[in-house]
Amino acid sequence: MKATMRHTIRAALALLAVGTITVVLTAPALASHVVVRTAFPTSGTVGEIVPLAVDVRTPEGAPLPGTTVTYYLHMSFAGVGGEAQIGRAVTDQNGVATIGYQPRAAGLHELRMEYLPPGATAAEQVMGAFDVTGGPQLVRPSGGVDIPGINSGLLMAVLGTVWLILLSVAFRLVAIARAGGATGPAPGDAPR
Amino acid sequence: MATLSAWQERLEATALAPVSRTGARFWALVGVEVAVLGWGLYAYSVQLRDGLVVTGMRDRISWGLYIATFVFFIGISHAGTLISAILRVSQARWRTPVTRIAEFITVVALICGASFVIIDLGRPDRVLFVFAYGRWQSPIIWDVLAITTYLTGSIVYLFVPMIPDLALFRDRLTGRTSRWRAWLYRTLAIGWNGNVAQRRSLIAAIGMLMILIIPIAVSVHTVVSWIFAMTLRVPWNSALFGAFFVAGAIFSGIAILIIVMAILRRVYRLHEYVTAKQFIYLGYLLAAFAAIMIYANISELLIHGYKLEEGAGFHLRQLFLAEFAPLFWFYLIGGLIAPIVIVLLPATRTVAGVVVASILVTVAMWIERYVIVVSGLRVPLMPYESADYAPTWVEWSIFAGGLALFALLITLFTKVFPIIAVWEVAEDHNAAVTSPAPTYAAVLDIAADSAGGSS
Repeated sequence: MKATMRHTIRAALALLAVGTITVVLTAPALASHVVVRTAFPTSGTVGEIVPLAVDVRTPEGAPLPGTTVTYYLHMSFAGVGGEAQIGRAVTDQNGVATIGYQPRAAGLHELRMEYLPPGATAAEQVMGAFDVTGGPQLVRPSGGVDIPGINSGLLMAVLGTVWLILLSVAFRLVAIARAGGATGPAPGDAPR
Repeated sequence: MATLSAWQERLEATALAPVSRTGARFWALVGVEVAVLGWGLYAYSVQLRDGLVVTGMRDRISWGLYIATFVFFIGISHAGTLISAILRVSQARWRTPVTRIAEFITVVALICGASFVIIDLGRPDRVLFVFAYGRWQSPIIWDVLAITTYLTGSIVYLFVPMIPDLALFRDRLTGRTSRWRAWLYRTLAIGWNGNVAQRRSLIAAIGMLMILIIPIAVSVHTVVSWIFAMTLRVPWNSALFGAFFVAGAIFSGIAILIIVMAILRRVYRLHEYVTAKQFIYLGYLLAAFAAIMIYANISELLIHGYKLEEGAGFHLRQLFLAEFAPLFWFYLIGGLIAPIVIVLLPATRTVAGVVVASILVTVAMWIERYVIVVSGLRVPLMPYESADYAPTWVEWSIFAGGLALFALLITLFTKVFPIIAVWEVAEDHNAAVTSPAPTYAAVLDIAADSAGGSS
């Protein structure tokens, strides 16, 4: 009897210990569980800004403001692939974090958004993707500073003036050649 | 006046001597130059056949020996501009015996320099793309326009003051030279007989050219520097680059002029006209430009080092402590400081001393161009290991061929054209003997005297 009692107590204590450990370990995860949705457009165009929104809410549906979301885009160049951080945003009062991204190439864009829910110690993530269409033009830079008069026309004018002067020298050479057959040496010249 | 006449006859004889007599040593020299040039052409044929893969240039360091040599040659082309145009404008008399050599160095250096750009292209047929698809906004187009204009202007500037001397050759060598030479002098002298109308036109033409050629020359090396400065590379981020390159160009131009002068003076016995005065004065100019270069280097490197933008630290380390340190320290000490010391110390301020200083400057300035080009491209743009570059035998051979072409063209020029500006030297001498105030009319009177017998 005593033995049965002792075993029962031991089993109860063991169960209590396992339960306690389980609760301690899983408590943050349970507490940090949030509902995250991405709100990406289905498609975009190269060079146009695409809004990338992430909606972070509690399981009850209440918005979670103040959560930092970091956006990573999967990229590959010259056979090397990896993730590039393309932006970071903080959720607003509606629990929405948004960045504007300007795609530089056509094709499927796969993103990973990383966030740290309130009370959590490890970052969680959500995936998203959108398709981009358009030509191969990667970047269209702005036109720079337009100063009136400073342009290729001015360059051509300067160059044209230089060549006109060279042309006038050529005319002088023609004049020398023509004068050679026209007249002799000037009076009073030193004897040759 | 009899003394003056005898002096003038001696001057004319000296000017005519290289054309009149050709020895075996001349042909031996030409043979060596042609052989080296031929080897360079063979190497170029290998490059044409196999592509630029036979060079040490790759995707990350895509400019090397060729572009460094291009910049070097464009630099030494400033010899003619400085000596001839600037000193002519300032009426410095001592320049007269060396103007012709200087002007010819300009033309030859431009031809050789432009060749290296085409060699660097790999596919020479693609030169036409510059004209077919070039854009006014591109520094490459500015460079092509500037160099083309400078080459044209330099050829005209070489030719116009040479007309009275060509007439002298036409008249003195009639019946004493080959038919093609007689035809050449007759054609190029364009009927010069020294009459008033001709003199007036010649004065006007030289006046226009000597003013025009200076800004063109400055623009050429400025635009060459912009090819680097307008590329997004940390070591080339400098608003000073244009002035830095122009100063360096004049610096190396003076040095190469002194070297060529010394060789021609010895070979053609020009000691009476190209005297120690010319060497010492050019040595002073060399020292002055060395000081300007030191200032420019300090300004450039100190600003880079103080701000230390990303990549600048790497660049300064490779210049002063690592891969390029031996070359760069030689440039600083051997090419900038040593020439000043040589010229300023009375014991070394001699013809030989100035020539040694010029050789140091020439080597150092080529090294400087090489270091600018290669070290600038070596700084990594992304976090990867820096690339390395070493010229291959093909590049060294083509480089040697380019130098041989430069030497060959000068050698042949001395055998065909007057290497001394006879009328200018005569004017200088005449002014010193008879009148302290030279005028262009006086210059051309003497020139006409030299061209006597044609009317």
